[in-house]
Amino acid sequence: MRADPTFWLIARASGLTAYVLLTASVLAGLVLKSRPFRGLRPAAVADTHRFLALLGLGAIALHGATLLLDGTVHLTPVALIAPGASPYRRLPVGLGVLAAELMVLVYVSFALRRAIGTRNWRRLHWATYAIFAAATAHGLAAGTDTPQPWAFAIYLGAIGSVAAAAAWRSFAPPLTQPRRTAR
Amino acid sequence: MTTVYRIEIDRSLCSGFGACVDEAGDAFRLENGIAVAVASSTDPRVLAAADACPMGAITIIEEQVEEAA
Repeated sequence: MRADPTFWLIARASGLTAYVLLTASVLAGLVLKSRPFRGLRPAAVADTHRFLALLGLGAIALHGATLLLDGTVHLTPVALIAPGASPYRRLPVGLGVLAAELMVLVYVSFALRRAIGTRNWRRLHWATYAIFAAATAHGLAAGTDTPQPWAFAIYLGAIGSVAAAAAWRSFAPPLTQPRRTAR
Repeated sequence: MTTVYRIEIDRSLCSGFGACVDEAGDAFRLENGIAVAVASSTDPRVLAAADACPMGAITIIEEQVEEAA
């Protein structure tokens, strides 16, 4: 009898969902920082940025839990916590674990920003680019849907949009350029 | 000539994040969770404070002031 594929299907769907949510959260963060759409209220963008990250973490939790419950790739709880402990696609799975743990750290740091100082909070936030890169590599190399054109299109769209938004952030003039007056 | 930085904070944008206070504690403080500028400043760290604000709520107006004779 063939094993029930439900958990395997949810694991794949939740992995891609988490990646899309992470991408959307990164884009919202970049929109907040560089303000390309002046009509958007910054407070609403900030809330959206955090909410998308939280939804992404929820999808990651579902991704990990269903991979444990499904027998296809035989992951152990240790492999979900320790990067590199998975015998299945060791490096790509390890990158996914690392990305998820860093994402938790960045998310939690918002609540701890007073304790760690907002300057350290901002430094830690740079890790988001590494998280995005690690999550992309994880999805491309560990995801069994990668050869499908629609899945590949998701990765290409995510990389392209984040690269474009990051470039905008780098080259757009700062929001608070000083105005000069003489008296 | 001395450069004086006049600080304007858009209270409708400020979320009380506190980055400005960390960058230039002499020029900003938080009152009831909203940033207020203590005074105009000659300290260029207020520019870093404006840049650090995640909500873009701070505008710095740079004024050139003649020094008193």
